[in-house]
Amino acid sequence: MKALRIAAAALLIIAAIGAIGAKYFAPSGYAHQFRETPDASPSGQHPLGTDELGRDRFARLLYGMRVSLLLAPLAAAVATALAAFLGGIAGYFGGWIERCLMVVVDLFLCIPWLFLLITVRAVLPLNISPEASVVVTFTLLGLLGWAASARVICAGTRDMMKSEFVWLARASGFSGLKLLRLHLLPNLKPTLLAQFWISIPVFIIAEANLGVLGLGVSEPLPSLGSLLRELQQMVTLRPEPWQFVPLLVLILVVSSFQTLLNKHEVRV
Amino acid sequence: MLRSLSLGFLRLLAIMVLAGLLGATLMRIAPGFGSDEQQLNSSLSSQSIQAIRQARLADSDIPRYYGHYFASLIRGDLGISQSLNQPVRDLLRDRLPVTLRSIGIALSLAWFLGLALAMAGQLLNSTAFTFLSEGLSGTFISTPAAVLALLFVLLRLPPELAAALLVFPKIYRYCHNLLQQSYGLPHVLTARAKGAGRWRILTWHVAPTALPQLLALVGVSISIVIGVLLPIEVICDVPGIGQLAWQAAESRDLPLLVNLTLVVAFITVCATMLSDAARRRFVRSAA
Repeated sequence: MKALRIAAAALLIIAAIGAIGAKYFAPSGYAHQFRETPDASPSGQHPLGTDELGRDRFARLLYGMRVSLLLAPLAAAVATALAAFLGGIAGYFGGWIERCLMVVVDLFLCIPWLFLLITVRAVLPLNISPEASVVVTFTLLGLLGWAASARVICAGTRDMMKSEFVWLARASGFSGLKLLRLHLLPNLKPTLLAQFWISIPVFIIAEANLGVLGLGVSEPLPSLGSLLRELQQMVTLRPEPWQFVPLLVLILVVSSFQTLLNKHEVRV
Repeated sequence: MLRSLSLGFLRLLAIMVLAGLLGATLMRIAPGFGSDEQQLNSSLSSQSIQAIRQARLADSDIPRYYGHYFASLIRGDLGISQSLNQPVRDLLRDRLPVTLRSIGIALSLAWFLGLALAMAGQLLNSTAFTFLSEGLSGTFISTPAAVLALLFVLLRLPPELAAALLVFPKIYRYCHNLLQQSYGLPHVLTARAKGAGRWRILTWHVAPTALPQLLALVGVSISIVIGVLLPIEVICDVPGIGQLAWQAAESRDLPLLVNLTLVVAFITVCATMLSDAARRRFVRSAA
């Protein structure tokens, strides 16, 4: 299992290097069209062939990984910060404040996340620039994906508020921000980090689902989700094996995150 | 007992009101709200167009819309779908059984597969088997629902199976971790040391410890399966409430979307409350 974790970490590092250095590894830009060779098969010039618009699939995959791998952690950071804020308030104050905030958490948890995400994304304008669509998609993921983490953080804060060291700190005159900064936050750090790492693969998958349904990142900007839209053609046309490479990359990246997280779960 | 029931009912009511309000607010701020394609129909008279405009404007005031909505709800009137031009009640009556059937089949399959693999992993105690189970669950947990749905359309497989395959990894992983924890408990270790058989340990010592938490997972798994069914119903063309929600979101159909949000919230909150009640009852009876 240790070897598997090392392999997962290596794969994520390779994916991150490929995504960050897309400019150097990709044979062309993600929007560059080779108009004389649309729908080309893999060759030395185009390792994964070209799409129907003549764009290099390998270049789009690298740039797509950049969008998904860099922005999913940002969305996870937003979600974790929101969860820490609301869950922390609920756990710190307790009583009716906790009950009211937990009703809001229950609301977000009871409506299936993808249902909520598709509804919210569908009511936003579709004719926005590709860059704005990236921001909208991942901001939405961050703003809607905090509820489960908030419950965990609330429970952690509540337990901590009953612990002896917090009682001692309060008896010594610590309260409010000082208590939060010196005692609660440092002890909540492992929980916050665990929630952050758990959210990343969830957000990558959610973006992929939105991308396939046409509600994710807009063309011509690629993301792992928008690259999967090409698979919709396979219902009517015979799929080529290299069209499945983005799916394979997505599965490998998310599985690697899950493999590394399993270790974390055992520790927690 | 009465206090916990009334608290549960209040919680359900608060969530339903918030869910409906959230749906209505989202649609209110959506671009294109208040306009209707019918207004461009040149064959309609100016009075008809004015009437359509007035009807749309009436919906734009959220408190008024809600007051009207709750009054109608008490009478059993859920309104008319703007995009499909049919009573929402009729649409729900037609579509809900399809989704409930899919939920039932997908959940049964997912629970069977998840529990069977987790239990087999503990009973066999084989690294190869655990590796294979982890690989299988890891693959499906990393596959977007929409992509698996596309593959199932291509392979002409039942969509319920796709939903089951997407939900089973979560059940498997939870059960696997739970069983692993339960097998490490002192009373289980004592039973093993005394030479109790594998089946006896599982049924007499591990299952009673793990069952309350598994019961709690039943409620959560219903919410997961509903979420997964949405893209599956859209892509596999299954006429359920997932597909209906998608159509409603695309056409900014306020009455339909608000009712669907309420229905989904009602199903999931009730399922969670029931599974929680079952868990509490089990814990009490065991104590």
